[in-house]
Amino acid sequence: MTEPARAERPALGGAVPRRQAALLRLSTGIAAAHDEAAIYRSVVTGLHDEALGYNFLGVFLLDETTEDRVLQASVGWPDAPAAMRVHRGEGLSAQAMQDGRLHYTPDVRRESRYLASLASGSEVDVPLRVDGKTIGVLVVESAEPNAFGEEDFEILQAAAHQAGIAVARARLLAEERRRADEHKALLDTMADLSSELELSRVLQAVIERAVALLGVTGGEVAIYEEETGELVVVASERIGKDSTGTRLRLGEGAMGTVAQTLEPLIIPSYHEWLGQSAKYADVVVHSVMAAPLLIGRRLVGAIATVHSDPARVFDQEDLRLLNLFAPQAAIAIENAQLYTAAQRQRQYFGELVRNSPVAIVTLNPQYRVVECNPAFERLFGYTQAEAVGRNLDELITTDATREEAERYTREALGRAVQGIGRRRRKDGSLVDVEVLGVPVMVDGERVGLMGLYHDITELLRARRDAEAANSAKSQFLASMSHELRTPLNAIIGYSEMLQEEVAELGQPQLIEDLAKIHTAGRHLLALINDILDLSKIEAGKMQLYVETFAIGPMLDDVVTTARPLVAKRANRLDVERPADPGTMDADLTKVRQILLNLLSNACKFTEHGTITLSLERDGAHIVFTVCDTGIGMTAEQMDRLFEAFAQAEASTTAKYGGTGLGLAITKRFTNLMGGDVQVESTPGQGCCFTVRLPARVSPVA
Amino acid sequence: MARILLVEDNEMNRDMLSRRLQRKGHDVTLAVDGREGVAMARAGAYDIILMDMSLPEIDGWAATRLLRGAPETQQVPIIALTAHAMAGDREKALEAGCDDYDTKPIELPRLLAKIDTLLARDA
Repeated sequence: MTEPARAERPALGGAVPRRQAALLRLSTGIAAAHDEAAIYRSVVTGLHDEALGYNFLGVFLLDETTEDRVLQASVGWPDAPAAMRVHRGEGLSAQAMQDGRLHYTPDVRRESRYLASLASGSEVDVPLRVDGKTIGVLVVESAEPNAFGEEDFEILQAAAHQAGIAVARARLLAEERRRADEHKALLDTMADLSSELELSRVLQAVIERAVALLGVTGGEVAIYEEETGELVVVASERIGKDSTGTRLRLGEGAMGTVAQTLEPLIIPSYHEWLGQSAKYADVVVHSVMAAPLLIGRRLVGAIATVHSDPARVFDQEDLRLLNLFAPQAAIAIENAQLYTAAQRQRQYFGELVRNSPVAIVTLNPQYRVVECNPAFERLFGYTQAEAVGRNLDELITTDATREEAERYTREALGRAVQGIGRRRRKDGSLVDVEVLGVPVMVDGERVGLMGLYHDITELLRARRDAEAANSAKSQFLASMSHELRTPLNAIIGYSEMLQEEVAELGQPQLIEDLAKIHTAGRHLLALINDILDLSKIEAGKMQLYVETFAIGPMLDDVVTTARPLVAKRANRLDVERPADPGTMDADLTKVRQILLNLLSNACKFTEHGTITLSLERDGAHIVFTVCDTGIGMTAEQMDRLFEAFAQAEASTTAKYGGTGLGLAITKRFTNLMGGDVQVESTPGQGCCFTVRLPARVSPVA
Repeated sequence: MARILLVEDNEMNRDMLSRRLQRKGHDVTLAVDGREGVAMARAGAYDIILMDMSLPEIDGWAATRLLRGAPETQQVPIIALTAHAMAGDREKALEAGCDDYDTKPIELPRLLAKIDTLLARDA
């Protein structure tokens, strides 16, 4: 193997390019290397060339703690132990390590310090230098003695030089990478801040790094407390005492000053500075540099660094460096405070849910119970432990309500749904509930749904009771009205008859009194009839008898009936209607009563005025309007107008008479026929009632 | 002057209405329930029958139907009288065979007008 190599040696024309080629291989390898280990491998594999006599190559690095040389990479020595260590002073390469120069040993067998590798031939040791410091050595051995010459030394030195530069660069890169990782770790820590305790730890780390980077004696960080308007020191590093917990007003001391001005501050001679806080009287510092911690223009804290060495003074470069740390601290404070606020909010809502009288349960998107509150446990009889993980609808529905409940649940995943239903308790009993289902969204993502159950068993029972009571009341009113009417008929009839008789018998002085009995009886009867109508409507027993009738004759009839009423207060009645208004399908009796009620109402509240009854067709509707020029109403009066017994003012009943039920009945009759009634009025100028009825009322009301 | 059969179970109403009609010159015969009303109507010759609807024994509607079914009373005009203008009562009365309908309390001029109209129609 060595023989052909030697045979080639005289042919310089071949050897020189071979050396260049070896160097080129090395350069290419190094350029592609990403770390130190790869560089060392590139050095040995690149140079390796049996023809040049570069039979064994190894790179040793100095281990600074033990001062051993440790093998990093080798080639040509198959049995080389990995990470082989050579102690200080041992081996031929110790020399190069020591003086930083290339050493050539033409015949290793003569050297006592030689540590056997190939155990024959010659060896060159080239120091590896980085930034003027020897960090290791490149060892090249040939199997033959006297194998190397000047050309080899040049090439090997160039190789070592290149390797040195590459190593320096790789170490710089690694350092940069480590810093970047560290920085990221710090930011990650801040992002994960989950308590004030961790905040002080992060801020302590920030100030420690700031102190180290700036090369200052010490420093501290304070948080601005909005409630008190004070700064509270939370991290303190070598300022001569533990200042943690110290409170500073705005304007007090160095940090208080920057917190007030929101501008950084350098104090060259602290002991001469007038703004000193008494709280730092026991601290010996020479100069101080402080900066506010800001989020935008909002104060969240302050940071300060100190020099106790009189020779050191802060300059703009220090300020620039301090400003690198200030945002980190500010963000850490902001994050922690946001987290704390969010935490409080969560606790607040948690308490709300826990103490809510409404049963609340949250489900995951697979409709399984995630958690439930005590009200839920009480309502349905399942403890949270029993409910969690179960399908809610399987848990609390019956076979009869399953489908409906599942529909709610499905829909509630997408939007809020509300309804009333019946659910099953753990003991099998049923409960009537009002259900509200809402999707739960976090950052726009649907994470489940929330169900709220309100026990309405009592409410439903109360409603049923109230409905029954109301129906009984209507029933009572209906039968009472009927019973009252029979004796009333006698009173009215006999008083009317007596009026006729006394007139014939020539005793006119009695007529007036009999007329009063008759009028009072009539009024009482009207009242009873109205009450009967209303109670029938309320009880749902008022029926519609729809028939087809001609509108014209109906209007004529109504007008004739209303004439005496109109004349009573010296009013005029105008009728505006088409010559032939045609027919309509409706309950004739009720239409008549509606119009008479409105006319009677208008006459009651108008004196020496005009009452206008008009009719027009509006598509499929007939519109009746009754307008007057009477006393009118205010908006508040109109609000209650259609309620039973709600004459605009109690006093009007006394003055104008009437049952107070006419308009209530009018409205109910109108609605019964599928129409509506509206009123417009200006107080003092009269009012207009408009009734819109379908021209063809549906018989099924 | 007409011969009127008044079928009315309430004593006061019966007394009052009959006296008022008599003072207007009519000849009034009284029946106190539906059964008696039908029997008297078929036995006697009346120009018109005033029939209360809520009667004991046979109510006014049933009595009217019976009278309409009997040849001797088929043509006699019948005016139904009801306690209250309940929508439906009128239809029910006309359906049963009544010729007209009036509500209590009776307004005498209105009732007299209806009687006159029916008598004029048949005359």
